[in-house]
This record gives sequence, structure tokens and C-alpha cells, in this order.
Amino acid sequence: MSKIIGIDLGTTNSEAAYIEAGKPVVIKSAEGQPYFPSVVGFTKTGEMLVGEAAKRQAVTNAEGTVQRIKRKMGTSEKIKIRGKTYTPQQISAFILQKIKKDAEDFLGENVTDAVITVPAYFNDDQRQATKDAGAIAGFNVKRIINEPTAAALAYGLDKEGDHKIAVYDFGGGTLDVTLMEVGGGVFEVLATNGDTQLGGSDMDQALVDYIAKEFQKKHNTILPKDPKTLQRTLEAAEIAKMELSSTLQTDINLPYITVVDGEPKHLELQLTRAKFEEIIGPIVQRSRPPCHQALKDAKLKASDIDHVVLVGGTTRIPLVQKTVEEIFGKKPKREVDPMECVSIGAAIQAGVMSGDIDKDIVLLDVTPLTLSVETLGGVATSLIDRNTTVPTKKSKVFSTAADNQTSVEINILQGERPMAMDNKSLGRFHLDGILPAPRGLPQIEVAFDIDVNGILNVSAKDLGTGKEQSIRISGSTKLSDSEIERMRKEAKEHEEEDKKRKEKVEIRNNADSLVASTEKTLQELKDKFSSEDKQSLENALKELREALTGDDTDRIKEKTDALTQAFQKASASIYQQAAQQYQQQQPGQGAASGDSWQGHPSDDDSTINADYKVKGEKKKKDDKDT
Amino acid sequence: MPGKKSTDIKKSVQEPSQNKIKKLEETIQQLTTELDEKNDKYLRSLADYQNYQKRMEKELICREEELKKRYLLELLDFQELLKKAAEDTNPKEGLRHLISNFEKFFEKECVTYIDCKGKPFDHTCHHAVSLVETDDCHDDTIIDEVKKGYMIGDKLLRPSQVVVGKKKTNTP
Repeated sequence: MSKIIGIDLGTTNSEAAYIEAGKPVVIKSAEGQPYFPSVVGFTKTGEMLVGEAAKRQAVTNAEGTVQRIKRKMGTSEKIKIRGKTYTPQQISAFILQKIKKDAEDFLGENVTDAVITVPAYFNDDQRQATKDAGAIAGFNVKRIINEPTAAALAYGLDKEGDHKIAVYDFGGGTLDVTLMEVGGGVFEVLATNGDTQLGGSDMDQALVDYIAKEFQKKHNTILPKDPKTLQRTLEAAEIAKMELSSTLQTDINLPYITVVDGEPKHLELQLTRAKFEEIIGPIVQRSRPPCHQALKDAKLKASDIDHVVLVGGTTRIPLVQKTVEEIFGKKPKREVDPMECVSIGAAIQAGVMSGDIDKDIVLLDVTPLTLSVETLGGVATSLIDRNTTVPTKKSKVFSTAADNQTSVEINILQGERPMAMDNKSLGRFHLDGILPAPRGLPQIEVAFDIDVNGILNVSAKDLGTGKEQSIRISGSTKLSDSEIERMRKEAKEHEEEDKKRKEKVEIRNNADSLVASTEKTLQELKDKFSSEDKQSLENALKELREALTGDDTDRIKEKTDALTQAFQKASASIYQQAAQQYQQQQPGQGAASGDSWQGHPSDDDSTINADYKVKGEKKKKDDKDT
Repeated sequence: MPGKKSTDIKKSVQEPSQNKIKKLEETIQQLTTELDEKNDKYLRSLADYQNYQKRMEKELICREEELKKRYLLELLDFQELLKKAAEDTNPKEGLRHLISNFEKFFEKECVTYIDCKGKPFDHTCHHAVSLVETDDCHDDTIIDEVKKGYMIGDKLLRPSQVVVGKKKTNTP
């Protein structure tokens, strides 16, 4: 079944969304924006433009451009453009056609079905006209739903019991207030009210006026009203408005805004949120009467309202939210993007109809906390991260921590803390019978497999002998919310100290493996090292071993660095020796000892060996058991 | 012995039907196992997909940060130099170099300026902010540039904000 998309056919802008894998996704226009300007233009050359392109040319082609057609829907008014006559339905259809085409490009499939939203106050004629517009655009309009209903759906308010909702929709140019009653998934509109001449653009204008006034005060000259200055000031005002939604103060800085008597003037202004609220206050106050009127018409008191939903970009302003809270005596909901929540709600309605949102849909669990195993030094090494959807299987290869280690203990842990002892142990078992071998050589694959019922199967397999052990742990995904919360909180609280402790262990582990590899190399290459290098290596090795018996991490680190340096120096002299020998053997070839091997392909044994060593170092050494 | 005969018949009827039941039971068992396996596979791929989605989301954020870092570092260098220029008593020469550096940076990123003044209005890369009636221009010609526009490769980065001229005599 093809996708049904949800469309918020707006006065200034339209939006569209659909459901993918149970989640709403907002469709982007071909121009890359999450909305489509509701503008249609007919150029002199007979070209029709819709959306962003039509908006860009609107000023130059006023007689050929149609804007705000939504206000004419359902009327018998005809629009005459360039010798042709159109109905409002046809103009709206052009917008819907653009949405359809861009949605098809976005989704990569044909889109034929749609759910379209209309204001709650639309009458039957207006609704029919919207449906017709959809049909003309080639849509099979599955349903027309109210914008406030869609907003409530975006918040999942249909799933709760009987209650009353207020939807406060404050956009760029209009304010709509709708009071609704929900019961058994049915929405009933109790009252609507609004102001068609009130919106965020009034605030921008008020801010521009304020900026101009301040500029005049400071520079004793009028801020010119040419398009360049006006446009820059308007853009700065819009940015300041947005910034003040999250900060308490912002700087408006417009260098070289104008030139007076050959001297450039810069506009520099600090705007606090308090001042901003003072400027826009009167505009926000104008939204009170429509709310009170709606309550009066519905014969409701503010306290009868159970939920308040915010729609429209202007509701991002804290003063607007505060005012709404004052009017209805309730904190408004604002988790869903107020610009997108109507189209998202329409998409949810569409998703229910197409089966993309289904009561029978498989809801998969996630792991509430990280699952790990304990490794050398008591570190918790994660296998399955928190928030992973199950069923899932993950495995990692570990090795032994000591020479001739024949058994490893697998301790299964749950929690976010980096050290094993701070997490909850879900169970443990031993894998015995590992063949005696130098540390780091045996390969033990540990696999975590959580099935759909949350049962965790942990197995450990010695890849050398094929020996395997496993354990079943039930209920690894079933933890109480408070338990999960407690464990996460603890992890957050101890983040710093845990990090330090883990670092400490890692330094110790590194030192430990360096000691082992140095010992091995000294043994293997004992004839190649000069006696001087050998002596300094042995000294450094001894000092590091001594440091490891104590608990001074800084000292261990210092001695590790010293041994690393001694090692590097010794290796370098071996290579130098080899290069000299090579030169002597191949006179005239001039294989300079400074030539780098980097970038040269090589398939000899040494490359594979080196690669193996790197891999070996990366492997976490398992367990303290010997 | 009719009695024996009827038992025989019954037996012969029962035997194949019991065989059949046994076979069917086996088939059911086999199908149930298969269904369980398929179901498990289906749920695992669904979970894999969801985990993939989560990973991609994280990856996207990471990439965004990487990209941001790249640009921020370049910008920081420019800021340092601008500060030096501000301290310079005669910064003209320094600023000239700085601007040239900026230009090279944008050139490297394939950002090109949209030359629009005097050109006919084009909705694909121009945004008209006002219309001015004048005698000395052709209809729909750009007479002023309010904000410069840029392309990034062959894509629009930002349209030029322009003032478009309209010939006075053409007014209806």
C-alpha cells in the first residue's frame, strides 16, 4: 500500500509529513525547506511558479501572483490572472500539486492519497472546496481534519480519556484559538475564536521600529528607509526575536548600516529579553480577548481545560507561553515543534488509515541499560549499548591476561558505570580448558544474544579449541523505571570520578602489556640489541615492574613512557644497523636509510605480523584468573 | 466372520488415516519451527533496522560536528587576523590580503557570486524585495542589489535580494 501523506494547507506556508517506521517525517521541498510557501505566480511568459520561486518574484509580478488563497476558499470569487480565470480551488490545487510532486521526489514513490487539514471554523463549503482542490491536484483525499485536531493528535491526546483541550495557534499573521472536547478518540469543537490580523510579523515590525528609534537617539540621524537598510534591519530583528527565546540578552550589530556626511555609521544595540517583552507586550496582550471569548462561547472556565497545545512559530517566545499559561492556568505542551505539529498530526491520521500506525504493529523493546563483561582491572567492557532495539546479537573477541591462563571468568554486567563493581552483575560463569599459551594469544569470542522476550544468552567460545560455555539470563530488559532512573542518575553523578578510575586502570593495563611485550621482544631479539640498549631496556623494564607493585598511577605512567622511549631508541638502532648492512650489500643502489616505507605496498610477512600485533594490543585482556 | 472383517476394514481405514495424521503433525511441527525461525529472523531484521536508524542519527550528528569544526577553525584564523588588522595603524594592505584569503576560501568551496545588477530578473536565483518605477530601465531589470546572492556549485546558496525596475510608461 502506498503512503498517505498529511498536509497542512496553510495561509502563508504549507507543510507535509508522512509516517516512516512508525515515526513522523517532515517532507522537504525541492528547494530543501521543510515548508512550501502557499504562493502561486503566473509570469508574463506564461510560466506558472509555485512555492519559493513564486514568493521570490511576487513583488515584481503583483498582478500575476496569488497569495493567501486560503482566505477565499469556499467563496464563489474568481481570480483573474493574465486573461485566465481561476477558482480558489484551482489555485490551492496548484500548491497541492507542487507538494505532491516534491513529496514523490522525496519519497521516491507515487503519492496519491492525502489527509488535508483545515481550520476548525471552516464551514462545509470551505471544507468541500479544500477536498476539491485535493482532487484537482490528483489526490485521493482520504479525510479532511481540523488543524487543532491534528495538533492534538501529534501530542497523542486522542489516547487519553475524556478531556478538554485548548489549541492556541499563533502564526506569522493570524491567531486561532480552538477549544475541543475529546472522548473515545472523537474530537468535538466547542468554540473557536481568533484574530486574522495578529501575528509574529507584527512583532518584527515593532522591533524594527524600536531599532530605528534607538539608532536615531544615538546618532541623531534618521535610519534611512531604503530597501537595503530596511531588509538588514528586519533580518536582524527576526534573528534577535529568535535568539531571545533561548537567551536573556542579545546584540544587534549592523556595521556600515548607513553613511552620514561621508562618515559610515554602525548600528549597535543591546537588547534584553525584558526590553523585548516590553516591546511585544501589547501585541501578545491582544491574544487574550479571543481566548476569553472562546471560553465564554463554550461555557467553560479556564480551569475546565485539561491540556493546552501550542501551534505556530510565534509560540516559541517565552512571553507568549507565559501569557497562555496565565490565561488557561496550565503549562502548555510544547514538546512537538509548533511549526510542524499540524502536518505531523495529519500524517499520524494518515498513518492510522494506511496501517503505518497500527495497534497490531510490532513494538520492539529496547535495552534500558548497557550490557557488558568485566575485563582486566575490573573494567566493564560494553557489548550491547543502552537503548539498543532487541532482538539483537553482538560479539567481541577477547584474550587472556596472563601467560598459560587456562580459564577465564565471564562476569555479565548491567549498568552505565565504566567499572564492573559499580554495575549490577547478572550472572557469571567460567570457560575452562583453554590451552596454555602466552597472554594475548588465545581468542575467546564472547557473544550476547537477547531474544524478543528479553532473555539474554551469553556464550563464550575458545576459537582455538572450539570449547564453549553459556548462560541464560531472563528479564534483562525488564527493569522498573525507577531502577533504570536510579542507575542512570548514579552514572551521571559519578561520571568524573569513574572516568579517573577507568583511566587509572587503563594506564595500569597498558603498562602491564608493555612489560609483557618488552620481555618477549628482549627474549626474541637478544642478539640484535647492543649491550648498551639492552641494559637501558632492562633497567626501564625493572623500574616499571617496580612501579606496578605500587599504586602510584603517575609513576606507572612515567615509567611506561620511559620504557616506550627506551624501546623506540633500541628499535631505531636495530633498523639503522639493518639499513647500513643493506647499503653495504647493495653498493651503488643508494637505498637511503631515510626513505620512508609509508605508502609503499608490501606483502611480506613482516606486514602481517605488525598488523597482528596492533590487533593484539587492541584486544581487551580478560580476567584476573590464572 | 463378519465381525472380524469389519474390524479389518476399520483397521485398514484407520491405519492410513493415522499415518496421514502423523504426517500432518510432522508437517505442522516443521511449519511451526519454520514459522518461529522466520518470525525470529523478521524481528531481528526489524530490530537491526531500528538500531541502524539510531546509529545513522548519531553518525549524522557526528558528521555535522566534524563539518562545523572544519569551518569554525577557518573562521577562527580569519578572526585572529582581523584582530591584528584592527590594531594596525594602516590596515588597508593587511585587509586586502585578508579579503583575498577569504575569496580563496570560498573559491575552494565552489561559492560564486551571482552578478545581478542590470540583468533581467530571474526567479531561480533572485528574490525581489521591491519594485521601483523608473524611466531609465527596461521592465523587470534589476536596478539595485540589496543583499548579495551566491551559488554553491550549481545549487543556490542564497538568492540575491534585489530591487527590480519597472518602466513608467508601461504602468497601466
